Amino acid sequence: MYRYDEFDHALVRERVTEFSDQVARRASGTLTEDEFKPLRLMNGVYLQLHAYMVRVAIPYGTFNSRQMRQLAHIARTYDKGYGHFTTRTNIQYNWPALTDLPAILSDLADVEMHAIQTSGNCIRNVTTDVFAGAADDEIEDPRPWCEIIRQWSTIHPEFSFLPRKFKIAVIGAEKDRAAIRTHDVGLQIVRGEDGGTAFRVFVGGGQGRLPHIGQEIASSVPAAELLAYLTAILRAWNLLGRRDNIHKARIKILVASVGLDAFREEVDRHYATLRHEDLRIPDDEAERIKAYFAPPSFEDLPKASAPFDRALLADPDFARFARNNVRRHRQAGYASVVVSLKPVGGVPGDITADQMDAVADLAERYGFDELRAAYEQNLVLPHVKLDDVPALWRALLEAGLATANADLATDVIACPGLDYCSLANARSIPVAQALSKRLADMDYQERLGPVRINMSGCINACGHHHVGHIGVLGVDRKGEEYYQITVGGSPDEQAALGDIVGKSLPADEVAPAIQRTLDRYLQIRAEGERFIDTVRRVGPDPFRDAIYETLDATA
Amino acid sequence: MKIVTANRLSDGRVIYAGVDNQPVDRLDHASVLDEATAEIVLAEVAGRPDIFVNPYLVEVQDHTPSGRDRLKERIRATGPTVGNSLAREPA
Repeated sequence: MYRYDEFDHALVRERVTEFSDQVARRASGTLTEDEFKPLRLMNGVYLQLHAYMVRVAIPYGTFNSRQMRQLAHIARTYDKGYGHFTTRTNIQYNWPALTDLPAILSDLADVEMHAIQTSGNCIRNVTTDVFAGAADDEIEDPRPWCEIIRQWSTIHPEFSFLPRKFKIAVIGAEKDRAAIRTHDVGLQIVRGEDGGTAFRVFVGGGQGRLPHIGQEIASSVPAAELLAYLTAILRAWNLLGRRDNIHKARIKILVASVGLDAFREEVDRHYATLRHEDLRIPDDEAERIKAYFAPPSFEDLPKASAPFDRALLADPDFARFARNNVRRHRQAGYASVVVSLKPVGGVPGDITADQMDAVADLAERYGFDELRAAYEQNLVLPHVKLDDVPALWRALLEAGLATANADLATDVIACPGLDYCSLANARSIPVAQALSKRLADMDYQERLGPVRINMSGCINACGHHHVGHIGVLGVDRKGEEYYQITVGGSPDEQAALGDIVGKSLPADEVAPAIQRTLDRYLQIRAEGERFIDTVRRVGPDPFRDAIYETLDATA
Repeated sequence: MKIVTANRLSDGRVIYAGVDNQPVDRLDHASVLDEATAEIVLAEVAGRPDIFVNPYLVEVQDHTPSGRDRLKERIRATGPTVGNSLAREPA
């Protein structure tokens, strides 16, 4: 993985020094909250319901055991012994004191981490496929390009005061495991006409109050011109985007209002100049960055593993884990392993400091010291020898991290909601917990197969409810929590926004209604159909009927 | 009736204006004020930004939030209703 050079080290250290001074001036009263707010937001610090919150960047979700142990240390020393992984593959701490923030950022800098650009109107943490560099369907590892984008976008003077935040995701396979079409810009690596690396570019996607699916603006931008093309997009938006209305400032609103063709013309006008300037990425520089992401030293192994196969036969619980949480790998004899942060009745994305240490140990012992954060709020060990998966599973069991539900109905994405967030209208976590307990039976979940259920506590959609196969949105109705259900959303290469099925439900009706929806799917599915396939075939009506049948009967 | 609430500058924790407009941690220690007095107290604590960050008024009946934001204010008063923070709360 990428290691800081002297410029990275200096930049992050200088920021720690600068922010330490700003915190000291705020604590002494020299800076007002209005003056301090934009400064703290540049360093990932929010003031939430109960305390300050700091959001730490995990660039493209890639980190190592040393960094994970430092995250555990921060959780123990400055927080309440846990952290929360987010849908932007960042980690949040919910309880730091103002005066501890400089020490936290300094501890992060010790392990080449920071909180720069995890909030504010700038280019946020770039995300990617959690199986990058490991997936067997990949054209090319997208992470070197993520790192190039990270370096280009970090404290970029032209893009530090954008109309609103800007999110980029990159994938290297046809299959979209990073929800790129819900991003301001989504990039898909393709082969250019000359056989070289190129990018298919989607623009204007986004969730929130006014959701849009990204549209293809370019089919094949040569890799050397990627930064020129991104600059052209950002420049066009920065010049034309609205700044008078926070709800209409994102690029998705601009693209929708002027139309894709007109926006493309504007981008191309900038690109025509920029592509010939010094934004071209030199081949040797791209190769230098790629070298950081060279595959680990895999052994030559047979495809099958006797210890793995024996464990499958010996232990049905391991077999279940292998079916649901172990993914194919490009290298024979290896697999990627999903570490679910969705235990039955748990808080989606939460992990204790002890669990962080346990995962760090396991990554070191079994996974070439590499960890990934998934936007679905799980962790992944991307490179594990099949021979080692049984031992890894037993260690995960001991740490309370072996829930075998990856991509199943209880692998729920949920934002912190009104339990923590000052923007929320309703709680997300208790609703996710109630659903998790209700659907806990693993046989039932496996019968259902993959279902993405996403929950947000407000229309800002941090819980990605628009693109859940089943989405749940918390709303406020005269001071009471209600929940709007959507069906048919999808975050992948067939991205779609869910349809609202009807009136919102009280909190205790959500889990039963979702179970009725899933039961209806089991009744009507055709052979081999996943939940989302059935929804696409029959539309939302049967599911609407299932959601409201009991409610109507008792109304 | 109203109470005055804010976040504390040093650690962001929820505080209220209590006796003599001193910051108190507990909602049941907050001064319950009529509308006119509440506005005066709000202005007073707004002048003490070294303690009170983003102060505002909350509608209450006795010491129970009763306005449209009553659930949010109850959660602010008692902490997250679920999750890992509960294990580390002082008894």
